[in-house]
Amino acid sequence: MPRPAGMSSGRAGWAAAVLLALICKAAVAQSEYEPGHGYNFSAFNVGGFADVTAAAATDSGRKALSVNAVSVFATGHIASVFNPFVEAQLTGFDIVQSGGVGGGRNGTLGIDRLYDDAILNDNLTLRVGKMLAPVGEWNEIHAAPLVLTATRPAVTFLNFSQYATGFSMLYSDSSGDLPDLQLYWQPHGEFLEKPVTPFAFATYRLVEGVHLKFPVSLLDQVGLSFQQTTDLRGTTQSLGGIDFQLNFGRIGLQGEASYSGLGGETRGFARRNEWGGYLAVSYALTNEVTAYSWYEQFTGRLNMSAARDLLWGVSFKPDPAVVFKLEYLQNVGGRPVNPTGVIASWSVLF
Amino acid sequence: MPRLIALLVCLLAAGPLHAARASDLLVIANPAAGDVGPLSANAVAAMYLLRVTAWPNGTHVVPVNRELGSPMRTDFTAIVLKQDLTTLAAYWNEMHFKGKVPPLIQPSEAAMLAFVQKVPGAVGYIDAATAPVGVKVIGRFPNPSSRTTQP
Repeated sequence: MPRPAGMSSGRAGWAAAVLLALICKAAVAQSEYEPGHGYNFSAFNVGGFADVTAAAATDSGRKALSVNAVSVFATGHIASVFNPFVEAQLTGFDIVQSGGVGGGRNGTLGIDRLYDDAILNDNLTLRVGKMLAPVGEWNEIHAAPLVLTATRPAVTFLNFSQYATGFSMLYSDSSGDLPDLQLYWQPHGEFLEKPVTPFAFATYRLVEGVHLKFPVSLLDQVGLSFQQTTDLRGTTQSLGGIDFQLNFGRIGLQGEASYSGLGGETRGFARRNEWGGYLAVSYALTNEVTAYSWYEQFTGRLNMSAARDLLWGVSFKPDPAVVFKLEYLQNVGGRPVNPTGVIASWSVLF
Repeated sequence: MPRLIALLVCLLAAGPLHAARASDLLVIANPAAGDVGPLSANAVAAMYLLRVTAWPNGTHVVPVNRELGSPMRTDFTAIVLKQDLTTLAAYWNEMHFKGKVPPLIQPSEAAMLAFVQKVPGAVGYIDAATAPVGVKVIGRFPNPSSRTTQP
């Protein structure tokens, strides 16, 4: 069930925004700016991204021009064991909206990430705080300018805990030959949890998982994820997933699939498992223009039938940090997760 | 007379060829990096790809790059990092979102040298035609497409 934005989350978000502003004001730039790399101030780097969308859903008739997300994040290097990171994000603010139900969205300010990285050596890092859960590559790099499509496939965000608040050990091979490994554990509730959206089923109390990423090239990889959660309702969930990104010249392939077994409190569910997957194909028409398409099938715990979505679109990337996208999604079966309609987006990483 | 003309033509042709052959890429580090021997291209790449974040003595690595469009950056990316510019830009954008800081940018050979001289842990690169004063040379790589004068 949706619920209003929590005050604690909002206040913390504003506090983080003020902190970021102070960092920017107090420090002196040391190097030239390059788009997507953030601004460097002494021991800190401040960056972020913005994503503005215009969407028209054909089923509900909802049309909106929205700030889908504005994120500011800062990372610092104080000592090898003190590398703080914070990200504050405003999401879902409708500038203009008509049609549909529920009126316009007023936006939600919250803390997406707040952690410290203690670098133990070139291979091992201990992370403590609130972090993104490494379930699939999309969840870890979900900033609009970095992902293929403006519409996020359901399987990349819907049926797992996107965050973990607690401890994580990251192994990274300095030569990049061996797979990266991340173990994480959230012993209690999520720190500064985000308001639950109409799509989110649960607030997660316990989260633990492991992610393995096999590098194929600098950007290409195959990942394996396992996550076990218990939510406040008492539902337990064990998820296994695979994701990949591979490029063959102008052609790109990426996808993600996961299966979850549900236990504990399952009253009201239509099924005791969830599964889904998407497969995307892209073709670089030029260095700046890419045509893409994906097909997704997703079966949630509340529905017996699978939602089936087909998307196609085109992107224009004049710079690696700036992307325009225009795409159309058609629901071809089941209860839709993403609405049928047109969406255009402009996003920039700064 | 024809021999003299031929000689002059040869000399004129040989001048630019000699200038274009010229120098290697020098990878330089701030002396605070400590006792670091000559590094392989892979070892340098590990620092620029943000996989290695500390020198052996524990000093934090600060990789420095030249500005977008710089021929030196293009050469360094191809010869030492063995990547193409677009792929690398996308990679650094992803790393930045994941909380890692991409290489800092210096807009000229002189600025690069001055930055590496000044900042502990800094690692950068210059043309071998530039004297590496006040820095430690930790790698030298042949540059087939080298240009003797770098802005």
